[in-house]
Amino acid sequence: MFTSFFYLLRQVGIPVSPTSFLRLQRALGKGLINSIDDFYTAARAILVKSERYFDLYDQVFAHHFKGAELKDPEEFELDQVARAMLEEWLKDPKGMADALGMDENELSKLSPEELLQYFLDRLKEQTEEHHGGKKWIGTGGTSPVGHSGYHPGGMRVGGVSRNKSAVKVAMDRRYRDYSQEGPLTQAQIGEALKRLRNLVPSGPMDQVDVDETIYQTMKNAGEIEIIFRRSLKDRLKVILAIDNGGWSMDPYIAVVQTLFNYARAQFKELKTFFFHNTIYDNIWEDPSRYRKPHSIDELMRRDPDTRVIIVGDASMAPYELMSTDGSIHIEERSTKPSLERLKFIADTFSHSVWLNPKMEVEWPYTRTISVIREIFPMFELTIDGLEEAVQHLMSKN
Amino acid sequence: MMIRTIYKKISFLARSKRMQNQTSATDKFAGASKYILDEELAQIVNISMALEMPLLLKGEPGTGKTMLAHAISESLNMRLIVLNVKSSMKLVEALYQYDTLTRLNDSRFGDSKRDVSNIEEYIKMGKIGQSFMSEERVVLLIDEIDKADTDFQDDMLDVLDQMEFDIIEIDKTKRAKKRPVIIITSNAKKDLSDPFLGRCNFHHIAFPEPDMMRRIVQVHFPDISKDILESSVRAFYKMRDLRGIEKKPATRELINWIRALQADPDFNVKQLVKGDMPYLGVLFKKSPDYAMARNSVARLKI
Repeated sequence: MFTSFFYLLRQVGIPVSPTSFLRLQRALGKGLINSIDDFYTAARAILVKSERYFDLYDQVFAHHFKGAELKDPEEFELDQVARAMLEEWLKDPKGMADALGMDENELSKLSPEELLQYFLDRLKEQTEEHHGGKKWIGTGGTSPVGHSGYHPGGMRVGGVSRNKSAVKVAMDRRYRDYSQEGPLTQAQIGEALKRLRNLVPSGPMDQVDVDETIYQTMKNAGEIEIIFRRSLKDRLKVILAIDNGGWSMDPYIAVVQTLFNYARAQFKELKTFFFHNTIYDNIWEDPSRYRKPHSIDELMRRDPDTRVIIVGDASMAPYELMSTDGSIHIEERSTKPSLERLKFIADTFSHSVWLNPKMEVEWPYTRTISVIREIFPMFELTIDGLEEAVQHLMSKN
Repeated sequence: MMIRTIYKKISFLARSKRMQNQTSATDKFAGASKYILDEELAQIVNISMALEMPLLLKGEPGTGKTMLAHAISESLNMRLIVLNVKSSMKLVEALYQYDTLTRLNDSRFGDSKRDVSNIEEYIKMGKIGQSFMSEERVVLLIDEIDKADTDFQDDMLDVLDQMEFDIIEIDKTKRAKKRPVIIITSNAKKDLSDPFLGRCNFHHIAFPEPDMMRRIVQVHFPDISKDILESSVRAFYKMRDLRGIEKKPATRELINWIRALQADPDFNVKQLVKGDMPYLGVLFKKSPDYAMARNSVARLKI
């Protein structure tokens, strides 16, 4: 029974296994399912194993049993993008109108539904994938609307993780895989950073040392002598430097916050610093980068075994990195170009990494990323990237 | 979707009498005294019980995942055994423990009544072991499974699938006497491994809608005034939506907050409407969150 329903579920990409389908048959055979509502809940609990697919399941179910139209995935995604655009419009009508090259007043006459339709039409006009051009909506280009672009007044559309559905970014199949991974959560980061440990004995003596106990017992001519040891605790020193300035980092704030929260709970000795775009003479201890500057030269006094983790998108104008006084903050003067400073940090602390929230495929398009990659080993701020980074941080040399 | 809520306050004694006459396999779960159950979830629980499969519950903290197991155990009058999973836990700890130290001491001083030559006397059952050895059917809650590593999860499911485990020290296989009702909870957004998921039924509990939340509050405060209920729930959802909050307040916090509001003789509902929220510390437990909430509630209008 319901074999076609089963295959339709598979077809739209929900991983349903034959075993679970047989189990559903068993439930049907036992007379546990007596109505279509029962079937809906039972089949979902038995077949679908992740809330990410609930929405898709609903669509398939409605299609199969109620004859509702099944949207093809393309259209579904467009819908998402258009909605994201509408949200942006609500936040910043002027910016959006400028970005689309439309008159703000004209757009504001439209009702939300009309506006949504307008965005949808605008997206549909564009029939092929488009990245890197000037006019259409896509990714990585100078187009004003889209994301990861470089239009000064541009804005990000979609791509910000939402409460339940995974990350959806405009028109781009590449991101499908990424969306499957879901946004980084504290638990995931914890899993990845767990390996970053340097264990030394501390705390009360409450662990039995079996080998030593046997040895001492023998020495004692068989009279039992139980030897206790201190348990191992993590004493790793970590410096975390976070780029928290500018709109280019804005979309990643949530992810970085998660990382930060985890790190704070995890390591015995953790110093967190902030900077904007890149590091000059100082980094700051306060997030507003104003009150508590900390000189880079001071860092030299720290244990060279300290692990340094820098988080930032490493994207800026080349002069910010290469020239003396490169900072875009007028009050921040520097004696050395930022490049020198970064090299100094990399030389002082042999275990240092740069985590970049941008996807690796986008790196070659930004010059400063390539330059910084030569100084620091750079990793994506994803689970896989974190794992590689941790591996690098734990390596002996 | 229509959500019918069922909550009954049944005298415990009367029910336990009735339960004794029934076999547990035919029992249907329909809610408990302090737990609001939506029909969908009740259906899923019943199906899982009938199919004898573990039920995996996901959802953000405060959606009542753990409470569900308590509710099932209360309503079906079964004993609840809770296994709180820890990250360092080994599967064998959840099954049984061989207390070598006590045995060593006994053999050394010889002043206990235990028979030192009988290893079985030094085997203590872990939580899963207890649920297998119980003469009656029990509810086994495995809380926060995501804390343990994947190997633990897969191995545990093997045990739960086969309903038996070996005690190596005495070379005996222990079989479950009555198959327990197994509820597993997970907080993580990350999926558990495929073999694990393949052996469970799955449900995701969404954070309750305001309507549902009002009912939940009413169950806990049967004689709460409509004003307080209405404004506190509305204020609560507004505050959940504040941007940049690290740990959003959940159901538990709301209940405690209302309790605090009611305990304060000077409190007036109009305060809430004006955006003056007392006892924010009950809702926000991290100091940056608290400060942020402090600053932004003044601007909230409800």
